Amino acid sequence: MSERNTILNRVESTLRQYYILLTLFFISFITIYIFDGMINDWGRLSGSLGNFSAFFHESLWPPDWSVLEPQAYPVCTVYPTFIDFTCSTAWIGMIETIKIAFVSTVFGMILSLPISLLAARNLNSPWISYSSRFLLAAFRSLPSIIWAIFFVILVGFGPLAGVLAMTVYTVGYLGKLQYEAIEGMTKTPLEASEAMGLTKFETAFYVVIPESANDLISQAIFMFEYNFRHGTVIGIVGAGGIGYYINLYLKFLQYDKVIAYLIIIFVVVLIIDLISIRARSFFTEEVDLPRSTWLSVFLPSNIIKK
Amino acid sequence: MNNISNQKEPIVRLNDVLIGYKKEEPLVKIPNLEIFPGEIVAIAGPSGVGKSTLLKTIAGLVRTISGTIEVCGENSPSRPQRGELGYIPQSLGLVRHASVMHNVMIGANAGNNKPRIPLLGIPFPSSTAKGKALHAISAMGLEEKINWPIRILSGGQQRRVATARTLAQSPRLIMADEFLSELDQETIDMVLSEITEFVRSNNAALLVVEHDISRAKLMADRLLVIDDGRINPFITEPTALEVKI
Repeated sequence: MSERNTILNRVESTLRQYYILLTLFFISFITIYIFDGMINDWGRLSGSLGNFSAFFHESLWPPDWSVLEPQAYPVCTVYPTFIDFTCSTAWIGMIETIKIAFVSTVFGMILSLPISLLAARNLNSPWISYSSRFLLAAFRSLPSIIWAIFFVILVGFGPLAGVLAMTVYTVGYLGKLQYEAIEGMTKTPLEASEAMGLTKFETAFYVVIPESANDLISQAIFMFEYNFRHGTVIGIVGAGGIGYYINLYLKFLQYDKVIAYLIIIFVVVLIIDLISIRARSFFTEEVDLPRSTWLSVFLPSNIIKK
Repeated sequence: MNNISNQKEPIVRLNDVLIGYKKEEPLVKIPNLEIFPGEIVAIAGPSGVGKSTLLKTIAGLVRTISGTIEVCGENSPSRPQRGELGYIPQSLGLVRHASVMHNVMIGANAGNNKPRIPLLGIPFPSSTAKGKALHAISAMGLEEKINWPIRILSGGQQRRVATARTLAQSPRLIMADEFLSELDQETIDMVLSEITEFVRSNNAALLVVEHDISRAKLMADRLLVIDDGRINPFITEPTALEVKI
């Protein structure tokens, strides 16, 4: 009997391996088939490197760092003069983008938390949770740039449209992360609260939020980082931030200034990413992961150990 | 025991109750069980037989397949009034990222029947509830850990927090699922003496699941053994039998 089982297990394991291989082959075939169907002239790829080289040397490089110089108007009055870059369009745009990202993350967090508590299936009936999920999915279904266009039409150009657009998108995106974190918590604290007779609000306030607080904070920090990256884009449609200046210089074909902005954005995104990794490490279980140090953020762990 | 049963209404009454998660796969049948105020009843039996499910069923967390359950005067599926039932699950059900005080206050607030904040349903802050929480923490010897988060406490300390939460709640019925495991003998004696004193002096009842039959005999007034044939080979289907101590 046991010998028969061993043979059956071996056959099943071999069949499973063939099944995985067949699935991978099928996915690869379908991908190539679809891609080939979309591209009618593969020859266009051959000149692309040359085009990039010409564009890079003639238009992009070197970057025009005058974007870091103070604007002619309004006159810069900051003192000492070596910090007069704070009057530059790059600085003003970047600070505005960071402000939009921060405010919309806080507003989004405040609005998404009650909805995600309603959306969690372990706390509410399917009717309530699925209607709340529908609402969150609706907010999430449009990218923030489309929301930005919508709010620019409603409230006009400027950071207000940006904050509103990013807040709506944050509610949808953060809400999903939050209800998944809430659903992932162990059910015994909820059972104990239910047996004790606590109300839904008490359970949410005293049990669910404290138990998932680390996840919620970590997600909010991630969302700020995400909003900052997207905040650089929404300015293109007039919703404030550094994107406004990028769009301006794109229209005038001043690509050397555009690349200067892009490099500045890249550096700031990198710095915010690093701060975010460090900040989030305070909200992970220390037993699961060692807390990152500033050095570990920059260097691989094997180098630090040496 | 008969004196108690003659004088008082039972806190728990089960009649022909069939428990389990699926109708087709019932776990245990309990023909008749009554638990009176001031009593400590232990449920023992091999693992996987349905002891914890019985506790969850009485707590109203799992529905019965058939039969009737009355807890604190309420017939299932109606639930006992707020705070009348205290439950210590096997994995304790503590808020791991919150402090000892926060967890014990959850119990104290559940037992606090003061007026509530409109719409939110949260009782107004009460010094009595806080006093009860502090007293329970002190009774469990956790004063020094009062602000510590649960996740950094040892398994035994966490069990004491869960017991303190229930003591602060002052329920009419305490249901505890193997709440003495992971504790050393000295702490078991301390926890048992506190909880027994609470049950006797408040006319509450304690229903405890304990897989160690000798320990169950030691603490309980009555012992209910659920067996599926692993203890008594003459039994053909899972049955609950009351055993004389």
